[in-house]
Amino acid sequence: MRPVSGTVGQAEPVSGTVGQAEPPRVRAEAAEQEPGYRRWAGAILAAGMAVALAAAMISIPREHAALPAVARYALAVALPRWGLTEPVNEIVYGTRGFDTFGETFLLLAAVISVVMITRSREARRGYFGESQAGQRERAQADPVVETDATERAARAAEHREQGGHVPGDPAEPDTPDATALGTPAPETADAMTVVVRTAIRIALPVLAVAGLYLVAWGYSPGGGFPGGAVLVGVLLLVYAGFGRRRISRIVRPALLESIELAGAGAIIMTELLGLLLRGSFSANWLPLAAPRTILSGGIAQLFSASELIEVGTGLAIAVFALIGMGHDWAPDERAGADDPGGER
Amino acid sequence: MILVNYLAAVALLCIGLYAVLTKRNMIKMVMGLSLMEAATYLFMISLAYRAGSTAPVLLSPPPGKSAGDLVHGNVADPVLQNFCLTAVVIGVAVTAVFLSVVVRIAQHYRTLDSDKVRKMRG
Repeated sequence: MRPVSGTVGQAEPVSGTVGQAEPPRVRAEAAEQEPGYRRWAGAILAAGMAVALAAAMISIPREHAALPAVARYALAVALPRWGLTEPVNEIVYGTRGFDTFGETFLLLAAVISVVMITRSREARRGYFGESQAGQRERAQADPVVETDATERAARAAEHREQGGHVPGDPAEPDTPDATALGTPAPETADAMTVVVRTAIRIALPVLAVAGLYLVAWGYSPGGGFPGGAVLVGVLLLVYAGFGRRRISRIVRPALLESIELAGAGAIIMTELLGLLLRGSFSANWLPLAAPRTILSGGIAQLFSASELIEVGTGLAIAVFALIGMGHDWAPDERAGADDPGGER
Repeated sequence: MILVNYLAAVALLCIGLYAVLTKRNMIKMVMGLSLMEAATYLFMISLAYRAGSTAPVLLSPPPGKSAGDLVHGNVADPVLQNFCLTAVVIGVAVTAVFLSVVVRIAQHYRTLDSDKVRKMRG
């Protein structure tokens, strides 16, 4: 196979001879030079797929077809059986509630996969602040890191951001709002400029209320699914605009994961009580309120609110787990002369 | 002319498939998979469309009609809209799984080039 760049000795134990004659450790990502045949094979396969699917599309029902029976059924039962004027919501949490139940746990499985995959190699409690915790381990694994001025500046800024924060330090005030106007914008990943922060302050309440409104009123389509996604957007806006310190009390793995599983438990209870009280899984066991009120829809509303918790915290866990996996590098085995089980 | 939408969905899916098949950068592969997901959203929403239809909402019927008439009226297919709503959220979570795998591969192999990730090559 093609030779590995940098065949100098193993970087593992700190020894004087390692890494001196080595070319720069940072390997430039190879420009994408595809072998020509791959492009052609891909194009032919994709074109074949396009032809096959297009042929299928010609003969499927179009805009003048009658609605499927399941859709008519859902429209017919939405008002009398569920007291909902929004058939989409009735389908999500009523007629096809079992489907949504499955989707919920598909989401939970995906979130658990992310948590498993991003689980850090060092002990830490939060999504943030991993760089200091990983410092020692990284020094063991990869002692010959070349640094330049840019990297040192970035590391210094990171240190200030992570834990080197001194209250009252004029270089880094407690909140980004305390930064004097006219000074350079807040440093590195900490916060955004005053323009963005003001815009976020204005948009945030509107977004949060809109997200909760989607859930609170049973005649909005989807309920908890879009509502939860909107709430994650609110969280991410605060993170992007004001820095991690503003959300670090809420965005903690222990807290988010507990709420997430409480939401999942509430969904299971909601659906299971239908089996116990009404004799069928996901049957409505709550009294129906008048249509177009907050409580209309019976368990559809309960399911929707639990789904808000499940989706909101689930997506937040996935996003912040991804953000927090930054510094968890494995030892660079390919720098070694013998590459056990590697290129063969 | 909803057929145009169907064919656009096919085109989108095949662009994503082409990216997955030919790109070596794994971030671009994930982008291709996301494009394929987006194609299914477009397809399901287009499939829900009916000519001259309204949203499937049993509210404020036109004068002289009741909500019961709306049930039999010309509305878009609510079942497919339901599929799309849930699929979007699941799509985000699945993309997060893909990306976390990509980050782990990058941290382990120090490359995003899928041709160089060959520990599992038999």
